[in-house]
Amino acid sequence: MSLLVLEGLSKQFGGLAAVNNCHLQVEAGQIHALIGPNGAGKTTLINLISGALPPTRGRIYFDGQEITSLPQHRRVRLGLARTFQITNLYKNYTVLENLELAVQARLGSSFRFWQPVSRERGLREEAEKVSELLGLSARNHTPVAQLSHGEQRQLEVGLALACQPKLLLLDEPMAGLGLEESERMVELIARLGQSLSILLIEHDMNAVFRLSARISVLVYGQVIASGPPEEIRANPEVHKAYLGDEGGAL
Amino acid sequence: MLRKGWLLLLLGLLLAFPPVASATGLEFYMGLLTKIMIFALAASSLNLILGYGGMVSFGHAAYFGVGAYTVAILTREGLTSAWVIWPVALALCALLAFLIGAISLRTRGVYFIMITLAFAQMIYFVVVSFKQYGGEDGLRARRPEFGLFELNDTTLYYLTLGVLAACLYGLYRLVGSRFGRVLQAIRENESRTAALGYPVYYFQLLAFVLAGTLAGLAGVLMAHYTQYASPNLLAWQQSGHLMMMVILGGVGQFWGGVLGAVVLSLVEEVLQDLTIHWQLGVGVILLLVVLFAPKGLAGLWRRRKGL
Repeated sequence: MSLLVLEGLSKQFGGLAAVNNCHLQVEAGQIHALIGPNGAGKTTLINLISGALPPTRGRIYFDGQEITSLPQHRRVRLGLARTFQITNLYKNYTVLENLELAVQARLGSSFRFWQPVSRERGLREEAEKVSELLGLSARNHTPVAQLSHGEQRQLEVGLALACQPKLLLLDEPMAGLGLEESERMVELIARLGQSLSILLIEHDMNAVFRLSARISVLVYGQVIASGPPEEIRANPEVHKAYLGDEGGAL
Repeated sequence: MLRKGWLLLLLGLLLAFPPVASATGLEFYMGLLTKIMIFALAASSLNLILGYGGMVSFGHAAYFGVGAYTVAILTREGLTSAWVIWPVALALCALLAFLIGAISLRTRGVYFIMITLAFAQMIYFVVVSFKQYGGEDGLRARRPEFGLFELNDTTLYYLTLGVLAACLYGLYRLVGSRFGRVLQAIRENESRTAALGYPVYYFQLLAFVLAGTLAGLAGVLMAHYTQYASPNLLAWQQSGHLMMMVILGGVGQFWGGVLGAVVLSLVEEVLQDLTIHWQLGVGVILLLVVLFAPKGLAGLWRRRKGL
């Protein structure tokens, strides 16, 4: 069975169907990209998969288990971690403090009330490892608010990574990045993709086609096409519905 | 955190105060200190959820008052042992905080403020409506028996000092523990904390129950101090009073509740002697602190980033 399966998933906001009878399968061990025009429902879909929002209809299966009504924190435990399109970090904390919080969620219970957490070596070491992987080691003790936008986007991915997920949900990791920063992010995602399954939402077509083994196209809350990059590039439906004047990008 | 040496010195001075006070005829100040320590406990408990948890509860008087009323009602019904009265009062406050928190924490922002206020007002009106328990006149609260010692003004002073010291130490450990760190992370960024896999609701609810229980403990001591349970302890003004202490002392600063209780109580005491318009003076001081020291008096004090 696929790692992640969405069956007829819908999300209604009042009269608006942000996600409408969506079917999707994400296989383990590859980078699967989800593209679509603005307002297609991509971020809503991430919110449904991660459990930040409950779906109106449909079912979600992850790793062979139905998770449709599982609360968000239980899904993270099962191995589903997400990033945010709009950088969502602990701005007043340092890089290591951010990462330690992510590690702490995974290692042991946090309903501990007496021992000083600052003396827990294990958390610190794990956080340092993730920081090194991100290339942020030199910035370990810098408050997040003082990081560059690019570094903040790296840390955004890092926080999800520190959860040691089976499936990483990346919501536009390249958003707002300059050329050089984008390149670094593409390299990071490619590196992660070697050992992790990733569902990648991205507007940067260049990056999507370089990174992905499979691409799905979301339009008006529905997946209209799913397949390897060449197939998507050649699909006339995709050109008509999504790419239109942007078609040149493919 | 203040340096350990200073804390021990302060503790030593507080321990030595009663004999000095009775020798010099300053018993009044022993009572004042007892009252201040009780408020320090209540304000510190509010600071746990307001400062560290980011939960602006405007109904903290409910637990303070219920703690006091439990003592009054149980002693009136003939119970005399503190070893029964204390656990019952604390359990009642914990249960109350659990029920109020479980519902209130489903809301956020201004709705949370209003719903905690509404619950506290409901309790105020329910208690006041019991004529057999004094109604709006309040109820006498006899001092219970501890067995080990007789509860008089001096032993109450030491009891309060001991309870306050123990609770503050517990809170100090708590805010530096795993739990405390997550609680503060929720305040800093709730959606991120949820996305990292923390069940936000349960962390908040537990902190809420703990704060309510400690406020109830302060209420119990208050009933021992005044030997009387007043509806004023339950009124929304009391919630505001505790909130003022926390803001004055420093929201989310470890010593914020204590400092606020000390300064506000002393200011009230001094101004009340000087003028009947003393509340105006308190208002001006609060205004100045909010404008010029957003982290309160504790924030002015603190030099390095500790807690």
